[in-house]
Amino acid sequence: MKKSMRRVMALLLSAVITTGMLGGCGGSAEKTKAPAQGAVEQQSEKNNGADISEHVELKMYLLGDRTADFDEVYAEINKILEEKLNASVSVDFLSWGEHDTKYSLLFSGGEDFDLIFTATSWGHYEQTVALGGFYPMSEEFIKTYAPDIWNTVPEIAWNQAKIDGTAYMVPNYQNEFGQDVLAVRGDLMEKYGISEIKNWDQLLEFYKACAADGMYASQKGPWYQYFQSQGLTITGGAPKDGELILYHTQDPDDLSFTYLLDWDGFSDYCYQMKELADLGCWSPDVLNSSEERQIGLLTGRTAGMIWNIGSCKTYAAEANAANPDWKVTLVDPVSGQDKKVNSYINNGVAINVNSKNPERAMMVLNEFYTNPQINDLTRFGIPGKHWEAVGEDQYKVIDESNYGVDSNCNWGWMNENIKRTEYIEDRTALDDTYDAMMEEWNGRVKAEHVYDGFNFDPTNVTTQMAAVEAAVSTYYDPLINGLVSDVEASLEELNLAMESAGIRDILAELVEQAEDYAASR
Amino acid sequence: MNRKKGLKGFLKKVYKYRTFLLMLLPAVVYTLIFAYYPMTGIVLAFKKYTYAGGIWGSDWNGFENFKFFFQSGQAGLVTRNTVLYNVAFIITNTVTQIAVAILLTEIHNKHYRKTAQSIMLLPYFISWVIVGVMTFNIFSSDYGFMNRLITAFGGEKIAFYTTPQVWPFILIFFNLWKGVGYGSVMYLAAIMGIDTSIYEAASIDGANVFQRIFKVTIPMIMPTTIILFLLSVGGIFKGNFDMFYNLVGSNGLLYNYTDVIDTLTFRALISSNNFGMSAAIGLFQSVLCFATVVMVNRLVGRYDRDYTLF
Repeated sequence: MKKSMRRVMALLLSAVITTGMLGGCGGSAEKTKAPAQGAVEQQSEKNNGADISEHVELKMYLLGDRTADFDEVYAEINKILEEKLNASVSVDFLSWGEHDTKYSLLFSGGEDFDLIFTATSWGHYEQTVALGGFYPMSEEFIKTYAPDIWNTVPEIAWNQAKIDGTAYMVPNYQNEFGQDVLAVRGDLMEKYGISEIKNWDQLLEFYKACAADGMYASQKGPWYQYFQSQGLTITGGAPKDGELILYHTQDPDDLSFTYLLDWDGFSDYCYQMKELADLGCWSPDVLNSSEERQIGLLTGRTAGMIWNIGSCKTYAAEANAANPDWKVTLVDPVSGQDKKVNSYINNGVAINVNSKNPERAMMVLNEFYTNPQINDLTRFGIPGKHWEAVGEDQYKVIDESNYGVDSNCNWGWMNENIKRTEYIEDRTALDDTYDAMMEEWNGRVKAEHVYDGFNFDPTNVTTQMAAVEAAVSTYYDPLINGLVSDVEASLEELNLAMESAGIRDILAELVEQAEDYAASR
Repeated sequence: MNRKKGLKGFLKKVYKYRTFLLMLLPAVVYTLIFAYYPMTGIVLAFKKYTYAGGIWGSDWNGFENFKFFFQSGQAGLVTRNTVLYNVAFIITNTVTQIAVAILLTEIHNKHYRKTAQSIMLLPYFISWVIVGVMTFNIFSSDYGFMNRLITAFGGEKIAFYTTPQVWPFILIFFNLWKGVGYGSVMYLAAIMGIDTSIYEAASIDGANVFQRIFKVTIPMIMPTTIILFLLSVGGIFKGNFDMFYNLVGSNGLLYNYTDVIDTLTFRALISSNNFGMSAAIGLFQSVLCFATVVMVNRLVGRYDRDYTLF
């Protein structure tokens, strides 16, 4: 009996062990049903226009979290949609923490939905197109079902959205500046005798002054400020979020690419950062800190914060409200360069390839995009409760707590033509600085470089891309934050690792694609 | 004729052991649904996956999906790290769990024993995400508890997050801290199952506490120990992603000492969502684990047939 007990137990245990062994494999890859195919083109020829006799409930996925009053606002929107298009929209959210992993599962899992927020690289646009997840939008399709969008969105935006000649998203239309600025403590600048921070040398001077004073200057190494001040920018779709391969965006005639390890500027930067990090210009824990960017500035631990101009203004105002003597202001450490407008595909909306109603989805999107009433609702919430209109083109916030201006993933249908600006009653020095900076920027928008809309498609070099991504972080992140003990050795190791992972194949493929792209424009 | 008798005999046995079989049922169902059914998805490892094609419709691409892992130049390092960490975990876990179980049984104050056991069990229920935050607050340079302590005693700060050599110890410690309470439950159960008359006989023969432990308890729980050991060997090529990712995060400086297969794969594929390649690595790990477990099982069998799993 004892023996047989042991056998039973062994059997049980071996069942458990098998589960354990295969569970990991199962978890990472499977649980996928083949999505129903072929529901794509069935009825467009029937009416050649909009047959809206049947009521349709559309499902849309947005990124972020549902705010308290979100459903109330969308109930208002649905009233309008019901009346106009005999349709309604229900929204589900993919939170910031989970969208990286769940976005693709929506498609591989065969989830039934119609519209989804997307954006180049950070919003999974290229990856999803590469795997065939989005409904292709032909010119005919857009003109038929979203004529107002067609009249609004400029051609350059459509061109940016095109992959192999077809657009798979409706890009947003607004001049969003992609370059970050520095929100900085005015009182400390005064104390250190620094009157302005307008270029790289002044920025370094400020960083060193902070360290000498025992303050952290900012969150981490100002890597973007460095290459931007040299007229370079990241290449969409290239490894490491585009940072490994740069191009001269400020010089439209220069069609070359700069691979970091072939560029002396990169090693110069790494040596400079090593110096700054050793001086104590930022925390040695940067690579592990999951702290949000504004915390250092708000708590007074760092003298500055690098972020986009809108966020810098928001948190500068917050810091000033709590500590009026800090006199936080905005400076542009890359002021020598013309300003790059973010590509229009930095926000957008796509239609699921398996949507049962792509036509109606497009019509609804047309309303979101171009109907001022709906557009305002999505941006500000309910008039009279969350905000009120000031004149034709301004707004005033009444209560931001339960909805929030532009906080509800309404960025996919931002429309410069009908976009209200904020009306401010008590202006501060910060508001003046901000407005002056915006005015200056709007007056010197950079000439378009043909690669601004280019996005590398890694389909042919997936192996090399994965190998590079796997190997790069060991050296790259420590290097750009000056945390390595020996810069030269780390650069050499990074170089070797990239060569064996196949960076040259990626470069060759990228150059070929970029040349084709440039030729087609 | 013969077959019919066999069937009858089988049914009779099923009836006889119905309680055992019923108890086995949930585990069997669980295994079938979550282990055997998804196993068909292994084909993904050899396919170029597209959403439109799904698992079955996508094109085959041979061993292409495995290539990136070896081409990254990190395959040897992470495989070594994974195995060494698991070996360290298995050894430290087994030894401390047995020690704790024995100590607990030797404590005669019931209230104290129960309290001690509960306190040790608690960390098991804390998510690795929380443990990650805790370690950051202990070891960070600016506000870390350790560095506060060191500076309070007049020492120099240690930048733990830029010193990879200390991380194997930190990881092993937290793994132990989290697993010891839960793991010792198995051994406690085994010790409770030992016939008390053996202990009585031992004490009549004049055995002291240590002799009781080393001559009776440990030999008696050997079968359990070996089975649990074989179970852990089954996962020796799998890194505990939750732990490594939450404690080390994206700190490249520590990778030489802390990178395991799972974290490397995660980094390589998180931006491209490549299902085929992740399936390939899962399969690679499973095959190695399977080979190891078969080998170790055979070695155990050479020592004593009764201790083997199969």
